[in-house]
Amino acid sequence: MKELGRILALWRGRAVWLAAGLMISLIALGAGVGLMDVAGRTIGLAVAFGVLAAPLALRALGVTRVVGRYLERLVTHEATFRALADLRVWFFRGLAGSAAGGLGFRQAGDVLARLVGDVEALDGLYLRILVPLAGAVLLLPGLILLLWGVGADAALSVGLLFVLAAFVLPALSARGAAAAGGRLATASAGLRIAALDAFTGLREVRAFSAEGRMLAAVQAREANLLAAQHDLARRTALAAALALLCAQAAILVALLAAGAHPAIAVGAVFLVFAGFEAANALPRAGALAGHAAAAARRVLDAAEAPPPVIDPAAPAQVPEDTTLRFDGVHFRWRPDHPAVFDGLSLEIPPASRVALLGPSGAGKSTLAALALKLAAPQQGRVLLGGTDLARLPASAVRQRIGWLGQTTHLFDDTIRHNLLLARPDADDPALWAALEAAQIASVVRDLPDGLDTWVGEGGTRFSGGQGRRLALARALLSPAPILILDEPCAGLDAETERAFLSTLNEAAEGRTIIMIAHRLVGVERLDRIWRLSAGHAVAAAS
Amino acid sequence: MLLGLAGTAVAVGQAFCIAAALATALATHRADLAALVGFGLLALLRAGLVWASERTAVAAGAASRRRLRSDVLGRLLHAGPTALRQRHSGDLTAIVVDRIEALDGLYARWIPASTLAMAGPLLVLAAALWADPVAALVLGLCGFMVPVAMAVAGIGAAAASRRQFLALARLQARFLDRVRGIATIVLYGRAEDETAALAVAANELRQRTMRVLRVAFLSSAALDLAAALALVLLAIRYGLAILAHRLADPQTALSALLLVPEFFAPLRAFALAYQDRLHATGAADAMLDLPPMPEPAPPREVRTVAARGVTVAFEDVRLTWDPARGPALDGLSFRVPADETLILAGPSGAGKSSVIEILLGFVRPDSGRVTINGADISELVPAALSRLTAWIGQRPVLFASTIRDNIRFARPEATDAEVEEAAHAAQVTEFAGLLPAGLDTMVGEGGFGLSGGQAQRVAIARAFLRNAPLLLLDEPTAHLDPATEADVLDSLRRLAIGRTVILASHSAAAHDFSGRRLDLRQGRAVAAAARATA
Repeated sequence: MKELGRILALWRGRAVWLAAGLMISLIALGAGVGLMDVAGRTIGLAVAFGVLAAPLALRALGVTRVVGRYLERLVTHEATFRALADLRVWFFRGLAGSAAGGLGFRQAGDVLARLVGDVEALDGLYLRILVPLAGAVLLLPGLILLLWGVGADAALSVGLLFVLAAFVLPALSARGAAAAGGRLATASAGLRIAALDAFTGLREVRAFSAEGRMLAAVQAREANLLAAQHDLARRTALAAALALLCAQAAILVALLAAGAHPAIAVGAVFLVFAGFEAANALPRAGALAGHAAAAARRVLDAAEAPPPVIDPAAPAQVPEDTTLRFDGVHFRWRPDHPAVFDGLSLEIPPASRVALLGPSGAGKSTLAALALKLAAPQQGRVLLGGTDLARLPASAVRQRIGWLGQTTHLFDDTIRHNLLLARPDADDPALWAALEAAQIASVVRDLPDGLDTWVGEGGTRFSGGQGRRLALARALLSPAPILILDEPCAGLDAETERAFLSTLNEAAEGRTIIMIAHRLVGVERLDRIWRLSAGHAVAAAS
Repeated sequence: MLLGLAGTAVAVGQAFCIAAALATALATHRADLAALVGFGLLALLRAGLVWASERTAVAAGAASRRRLRSDVLGRLLHAGPTALRQRHSGDLTAIVVDRIEALDGLYARWIPASTLAMAGPLLVLAAALWADPVAALVLGLCGFMVPVAMAVAGIGAAAASRRQFLALARLQARFLDRVRGIATIVLYGRAEDETAALAVAANELRQRTMRVLRVAFLSSAALDLAAALALVLLAIRYGLAILAHRLADPQTALSALLLVPEFFAPLRAFALAYQDRLHATGAADAMLDLPPMPEPAPPREVRTVAARGVTVAFEDVRLTWDPARGPALDGLSFRVPADETLILAGPSGAGKSSVIEILLGFVRPDSGRVTINGADISELVPAALSRLTAWIGQRPVLFASTIRDNIRFARPEATDAEVEEAAHAAQVTEFAGLLPAGLDTMVGEGGFGLSGGQAQRVAIARAFLRNAPLLLLDEPTAHLDPATEADVLDSLRRLAIGRTVILASHSAAAHDFSGRRLDLRQGRAVAAAARATA
């Protein structure tokens, strides 16, 4: 339940809304219970003493009850949705901090399940757990106080039963449901992952006639979900039945005590009736708490994953100079993996054109990861303008170094918005210049919607080569003084490749270009070429 | 329904027991033992009924969701990749996961509650009639307010709920898109802007949701009003009647008052379930747009095609993906005899991939005929077509699993030896051998942990394992370095022996692949040069 506390702490910003909702709900609850109490009392007093008690109070309570309930619903829901929206934003920010290098072994479906499903499961935390719990805390002394007139024994017995129904049973059912709640959160994420897998791989599924298998996989995950829901529902049903028994026992206690002061007892019975009605939902909320805690844990885990490289506590001044230097770098991705670099040293002066060549697995992309602070060397240093990257914040480094990766993502948006990601203030001529340099301008110009053409999920409305060139245009648009292009020509036909490489120099005047490639075509104008092999860089030509 | 009705009947009985006990106490200052024992027994019965009805509700909801989910997913899988051309995979996932979950309320709560909403109050009304006709009249009139108010509120709420569902699905697709591209966002330093944009979208969803709820809560408020009104009216009426000595026995008054909550309880459940139903209607409407159920197999016997010797022919085939962007294929004709290779060349966007997508059955041509061994491709059921073909695409999708399982995806019944043979032929073993767990190394979604070339080789291994007579290759060596490309082409050449191959590629090395070459420009063949460089 620690996790739920952490989530509540994150909702501090909405404290006013949450508190207002709580207050209104307490007023509405008081009016509702009071209404029943006064209604019963009216009859009791009329019979016993021949007086008509408080018809005005009845009307006032009735109105307060109706208006209060409506406002309560509005305000508590508004508060919840505001808090959940905040939580999603906080989650995304946390994810961005830890996933600069991509999701890695995390699955997009799982992250989505946390962002959507698990955050949604937390809506009950305030609405169905905290608000009724606060009501119960208020009701307990009220019940005992009002019943004291009937008899101390009766008042205490009813109080005890109320504690049982409102606090003990919920706590027990929360503990009992903790495991089932965890299973429910995992199972519902599993269903989302399986469904997303089937849709993401829809082409593979069709090509390999895997429809039946995919359906079976989704059904298996669904069966897990239904089993977890069934388990939870079993506990909820039991808790609800037990809570009802507590309420009935309390009414029985009030009835047994009625002989002594029947006039007050009539009101008391009505009071008990209404009071337990309000506490009735709590055991159910207890079962819900198990699920909410599991969901909270999943949300926190994903949002608070550590960044790949921790930023320095006291960052150094970002240097103006853009010399990029690798100085005796040793690096391996994981301790049990072979070393990628074993004393790599090279220096890339400002505004130079260099190429890094090497076969698959020589560490070309790792070099980019080190420069972008997606990884840190185990030994040696990477320096930007003479300052160790370890002393610079990652965001500042990434402002200076632009990057086109092998798997750069095209967003399901327009061409314009995909390009503007690299430079939000770019004007149309700048966008066209970048498209021109990436050899895709003529294709875009022929589109009826031009820059406002939708690219589709992952750029699927364009062919592989065209999508690649759009990503390339975006990288060229970036204002960073150093550009790392990882296989910029992959998927381009020979003609386009030559055209791109021969115009690259004009396109990026005054900037450092680091090209990572398997091979050279021969039209590149380069200042230096390194060949990566066996963890070192060998100068090939200059 | 029966359980619910029994619950109401028991509650009515309890109300009478309480009233009797209190009346006895008022009159004699003594406990009415019979009434108390009756109350206790009924309480036990009621707890049992609560337990049973909760459980049946869940079971009913689960069965319907299971059925519906299989149906919807089956339809989407049947529609195949065309379903993705109009909708984001996040949107489709939202339908299969969240919308069907939303329908639970319909089956688990709405259907039982809506039947009980009439019968339950009528039962209580009958009891009230027996106790005091005037009380019954008051209850009846107040109760009548509820459905009227609900109907008025419901008209607006249904439309709002539909729009809200649309917004929810869009937000989910957007989340998914941003989550997948998170690295791109962070590396361009745009995390804060995207977070802000997400906050705006999340807020919009909140506003839509509240718009739905504001109306839905009005129907709950009408219910509260009716219940409070009935209680106040009855309390004052009985108070006055007792004072005027028109009512000697308080039992009638007490039981009538205690019946008020029981009268409104089924209506309250109904109002809650009504919100479920609005929710469900929104969800169900979204499903109307889904592709229809797969038709039963065509009446004509599907042509079986021999496992060897596949001839492919295109006759004046036209295909337009998007009218605004002109035709992708514009009257294309060619023929590939059995066991021969056709190389499709041309710049990107020339229509190479469209040819392959037609042969995979992802899309149907707008006009013209595509035949496999003389049989029109549109007459082949998808499963028969996919049995004939192995495919390596431009962007192979790898699932989060081991390398071995990713290869086995092509043919789940393959033995370990066969998988290893395919891995060897596609040179997967070369790099897998360097990994700590070999072929059992886990890869992340989209092939994380593998380089682009390595992922491509896993896809090639799939094609080897598939062992189908028609091999469709769409830029199979796009991300490979020259040495690896040569090796892979070598393996592909071996794979091509005794098969019909269609290879789309602009790599110069691929053009060493022996076979006929067809140059495409804007969906048309420009020059077909026969080259035999075996």
